[in-house]
Amino acid sequence: MTTPLPDAPAARLARPWGARLEPYALVLPAMAVLAFFFAGPAIYNVALAFQDLSLFDLGKEGRWVGFDNFAEVLSDPSTGQALYNTAVPLTAVTVVIRLVLGLLLALLLNATVFRRWRLGWLVRSLVLIPWVTPPVVAVAAWKWLLDARYGAVNQLLVGTGLIEQGIPFLAKTSTVWGAVETMLIWRELPFVVITFLAALQSIPSELREAARIDGANGWQIETRIVLPLLKPVIAVVTLLTTIWTFNNFVYVWLATRGGPGDYTQVLATQMYTTSFVDYRMGTGAAIGVVMSVIMFVFALVYFFVIFREKGEK
Amino acid sequence: MKKDYWRRLALSTTCLVTLAGFSSAAIAQEQVELVFRQFDPPTETEGLVAAIEKWNAANPDIQVRMETMSGADTLAQLAREVPAGAGPDIQHLAFVWTRDLARSDLLLELDPLIAAEPPGAGLDDFLALDLATLDGKVYGVPWTSDTFAMAYRPDLLEGADLEFPDTWEDLATASEALTTGDGQFGFCFPAGSSPDSGMWMLVNYYLWSNGSTLIDETAPGQWEIVATVEDLTATMTYFNDFFASGSAPESLITVNSWGDPELVGGLGRGDCAITFFPPQTFRAAEAQADVPLMTAAIPAGSVKRISHLGGRALGINPNTEHPEEAWAFVQYLLGPDTFATYNQYPAQKSLVAELDFPESEAGYVEMMPVAQTYERYISSPIAVSSMTALVNREFGAVFSGQRSPEEASKAILTELQDLLARGQN
Repeated sequence: MTTPLPDAPAARLARPWGARLEPYALVLPAMAVLAFFFAGPAIYNVALAFQDLSLFDLGKEGRWVGFDNFAEVLSDPSTGQALYNTAVPLTAVTVVIRLVLGLLLALLLNATVFRRWRLGWLVRSLVLIPWVTPPVVAVAAWKWLLDARYGAVNQLLVGTGLIEQGIPFLAKTSTVWGAVETMLIWRELPFVVITFLAALQSIPSELREAARIDGANGWQIETRIVLPLLKPVIAVVTLLTTIWTFNNFVYVWLATRGGPGDYTQVLATQMYTTSFVDYRMGTGAAIGVVMSVIMFVFALVYFFVIFREKGEK
Repeated sequence: MKKDYWRRLALSTTCLVTLAGFSSAAIAQEQVELVFRQFDPPTETEGLVAAIEKWNAANPDIQVRMETMSGADTLAQLAREVPAGAGPDIQHLAFVWTRDLARSDLLLELDPLIAAEPPGAGLDDFLALDLATLDGKVYGVPWTSDTFAMAYRPDLLEGADLEFPDTWEDLATASEALTTGDGQFGFCFPAGSSPDSGMWMLVNYYLWSNGSTLIDETAPGQWEIVATVEDLTATMTYFNDFFASGSAPESLITVNSWGDPELVGGLGRGDCAITFFPPQTFRAAEAQADVPLMTAAIPAGSVKRISHLGGRALGINPNTEHPEEAWAFVQYLLGPDTFATYNQYPAQKSLVAELDFPESEAGYVEMMPVAQTYERYISSPIAVSSMTALVNREFGAVFSGQRSPEEASKAILTELQDLLARGQN
């Protein structure tokens, strides 16, 4: 005999008001914190983007100028250059390199030899060293390493006879992006490696063994079994690293301040100089809104592609 | 009976504790704690810390706590804090900031405090007071003053049988003669593209000494860009030639601060024969060097010899609850007691006259009387920081080969015209 379910709307009406409000009351603190720390500043930034306001007048309301700040930002040729620098050398190049290197390193670290020799913890700890180094320290250390006269990299290159004179890596347009990318990849690679390693370790070993029994070789196992299983993790890591890098300010600012000239100017450094050097908070906020919109569109398209693939399957 | 005794003891103890609490709170209320925020690096503030300790020992009712924040962040931090009702009681200010902050009510007007108790030997005794004045009201008191001079290794010049160069052309010639090809360069300077790079100073010294300037008030209220493409191209070509000829290392294209180890240590090691420093940096270089260092005047141009008169002012936060106490501390900082331990040049003519300059600082003695403030830039409709960022960026673009001097000069003039139009609107 089954007990009939009570009529849902009737049961809901029968509950006292206090009980009905309880779930909302429980999530209210979290929502308030989110609204205060996230939505508030975000809304304020959007409002700033429509005003003409000096840094020194932050306590006052600016002059409302409609879309003038956006028109100025989008018609400025330097924005196009900064957008290219942000999208290609800073983001696309470093994300692709991190994904490839991260996957290779994770596969290497997942090798049974480390587990057999009980070295897994040591190797994982070593991989994490760059990740636990504050970016400011990492960039300062790399600047010393790359110093033209006293840096270890140049001394090595000169000592081995590969070059005659030290190269000022951060002063030359031919090498500056490579130097910045090296700093960023060195510091941010461990996140990718550790995430991929965790995903690899969650793949049941029986799958590999079954494939091996069925006659698959190592290459086939990695490309046809492991990689497809890693795909959701790769998708999330790609999205996260892209957004973090696109919005990143620290590496370029600390390494080059956007120089030499404006060769490494990215949107984040342009936003900073507009707001805190030119004191034009409205225009700086407009650059911030443009960056957010670009990343929002990227995330939408990215998720659309990922979910469409899942839907097709 | 025994129970009653204990009850009375507990009651009297409670009363005593409460009274003690109230009295300590009253004492705490009587003692004022002021926050003084400054932005010089800790290597240069040992004497200032000593002066503040001396104040705290002598003034138990007004205790001062010193905060240090980097100069690059100070202005933005103040612009955020003051409108929110916060911020330090007393603020260390660059000369060029005072009017911008005053214009937005981010500094306390000091006239009532000055009228009640004038500082030092009177306001007329202060250098660069115009930079701290807006619409006839004083918002900051000039505290320290400085200028730049050339710093050099006399032994290297003697070795090359050279006198210190007198003009910009002589400097270029001497620099080539002092470059040896084994790691010794003739002239080193901060050629970075950062918005706060020291390149800005050299550019202006060169332009001013050759009769030009970026912007000037050609008639009352009428501002014009004075520098021409030819002026800027000549300046860019002049400094770029140091890299082209190899008499300055290319690595300097990433150096923004005159306090960079490449310059301070470079002079001591002999990697650089000549550079240019403000007094505190020169003293730091002297302390690191094993050989004597000297200073000399900034090279002369076709019209005159000139450098800029810079320095720091002191301002009071309009949010302070203790303006009188803050003013008393400001008065102390301005006085000779502070400068007895604080290794800076005072901004009061009477105190500067009493200074005993060491022989190695002769360059500063020569430059101080001819130094000129950035007043004309500060009064212009363009933010000085925007001009600085633009000039440094375009010079960096030339040094790194992104643009020719002509292209970069035109870019500077076009953007200056835009900034002027925007400022005037």
